[in-house]
Amino acid sequence: MPNLDRADIQGDILEAYGNRYLHSSYVFLTVGDEGEGRAWLSERIPQVTTATRWQGPRPDSTFNVAVTHAGLPALGVPPRAVASFSDEFTEGMAARAPELGDVGPSAPAHWDRGLGTGDAHVLVTINALSDDARDAALEALREGLGPYVHLSVTLEQHAQMHSNAREHFGFADGFSQPAIEGVSEDSAVGEGVREKTGWRPLALGEFLLGHEDEESRTDRRARLPSAPDDPLGRNGTYMVWRKLHQDVALFRSTLREASASYGDGDEAKLMAKVVGRWPNGSPVTLWPEAPPAQFDARSPGANSFGYTDGDADGFGCPIGAHVRRSNPRDSLGFEGRLTFRHRIIRRGMPYGPPLPANAPGDDGEDRGLIFICFNASISRQFESIQRQWLNDGNIFHLGTDGDYLLGGDGGKMTVQGSRPFLLSPRAPFVSTRGGEYLFVPSITALGAIADGVAA
Amino acid sequence: MTQNQLGQMYALTVMTPIDPTRAQSVRDILADLPRRPSPFARLKAAHFARWVTVPDFVTDPSQPAPEHLPGPYLLFSVTFDGLLDAFLEQLTASLETELQAIYGCCVGAPDPARGEPLQDYLRHNQVQTGLFFSAYPDATVETVMDALGVRQRTIDFAIRAQGMHPNELLSAFRTEF
Repeated sequence: MPNLDRADIQGDILEAYGNRYLHSSYVFLTVGDEGEGRAWLSERIPQVTTATRWQGPRPDSTFNVAVTHAGLPALGVPPRAVASFSDEFTEGMAARAPELGDVGPSAPAHWDRGLGTGDAHVLVTINALSDDARDAALEALREGLGPYVHLSVTLEQHAQMHSNAREHFGFADGFSQPAIEGVSEDSAVGEGVREKTGWRPLALGEFLLGHEDEESRTDRRARLPSAPDDPLGRNGTYMVWRKLHQDVALFRSTLREASASYGDGDEAKLMAKVVGRWPNGSPVTLWPEAPPAQFDARSPGANSFGYTDGDADGFGCPIGAHVRRSNPRDSLGFEGRLTFRHRIIRRGMPYGPPLPANAPGDDGEDRGLIFICFNASISRQFESIQRQWLNDGNIFHLGTDGDYLLGGDGGKMTVQGSRPFLLSPRAPFVSTRGGEYLFVPSITALGAIADGVAA
Repeated sequence: MTQNQLGQMYALTVMTPIDPTRAQSVRDILADLPRRPSPFARLKAAHFARWVTVPDFVTDPSQPAPEHLPGPYLLFSVTFDGLLDAFLEQLTASLETELQAIYGCCVGAPDPARGEPLQDYLRHNQVQTGLFFSAYPDATVETVMDALGVRQRTIDFAIRAQGMHPNELLSAFRTEF
């Protein structure tokens, strides 16, 4: 059992703050003077929300800090320490756009101002229980920045939970998460690793640096996973932040038109086949015809399913469905051994107003998902999922077909069945509006950066 | 399996020592090669090809003693249709500029590194292999590209023909194929 120093680990990484936090605000800062940046950080550290469990009522708002690669030297972290971070973090998300499929309308040239340019140095994330709590926290953030003339806000992005924790396409989201040793052991069945003796949770080091991961836990000769030099690495992790625009009107109209020639069901069923779950979160592989009336996606065992026993051919959940691609579980054979090292902790939140169900078409509003994930290795975890599983179909024997729910690669989708149904290539439903790779330091590491003694 | 051959495919592996003072130059030249299209795209018979710089051996923790290369090496690995001599001729003719720059940094390479002398140099440094991977050893690059074309046409047709009446389908199929 790993030793969790909860007071040293930032909150919302290993355990979610929960759905009562209806509002999330992401504020990117540019640090124009390292002395000012460190002084500001030093003042804010006592305010940073940690992974310590709340004893009394939960706070009205939470406060967390992450740093981009450009932010490290901006805060005066010495070059030798900066060089100890991973290659993909160092390059940054924009530089890796072609590999991530961020091309065409998703290319960095079209991103929101301040993202992917090296201007975003520090990300402050505020989660709040109410409008008022969010406004108060943002006001306090602005006031705290007041004395520092060389710190400026690059970008503010606000996001808000919708009813039933649905994302804009109308589906429950974010409840399937990896089971982690010492954190979420109860959900090991289906969300951990399958051994001959049964299921066990994933090693902590898959998600938090400075701890044993799935390699070092069994191989005593193996070193701990690669991490930034002490005191920066331990209890920190890498964070992926992406703003994904969703074209809800196009998604609805495409599926409505396609369902007219779909012989096995209606529009709702075809949508569920594309996603791999019904709107209430129930897996299509378990309920292929219609969703159960009651389904609690967060109840124990709700995600304890696989695909090879009974649905290997995709007649229930299509092989190219979004959730089957992003977490193929046992789909690739070898009892899940090709998939369990590519898990991520997701903390997404929708932004922009919902498109009313009866809207005749697009209303021009910007809406989508702020996708956030935490992982110890951006390349092995987030990027592998994005490149190998979502943007390509080769590993699933689907040729070059990418994820139809995200789209943009011009590929089709095959809905397997006694008579397969083919969804035509079309414009993307989801496009990237910006993103950054970040590092979430421990409280110790934040202190070291603020004191100017990192490495 | 004949050495270096499987079906109609040939696997060529060449390890050449890099002049240690020019190791960075080789890495820079390789890094600056265009990606799309890669210069290897000019080799019509090549399935896969790559250059890799090998600075040294990595010592596995379970290894009794570390082993080291005397200096950096350049690995050239390529699988292609047909036989070695014809391929080397095509290689030195199609990638003359790139080869001259890259092998010009290698120990013992002809100066200038091109033409028949370069072909001899590559043959001399060939590493024989009895085992290599080929997804379809009997299919030439041309056959594979043709098959991919047919696959795409079939997919396009299947999407278009979805839900057609049988007579309409037959007629559309005959028109397309």
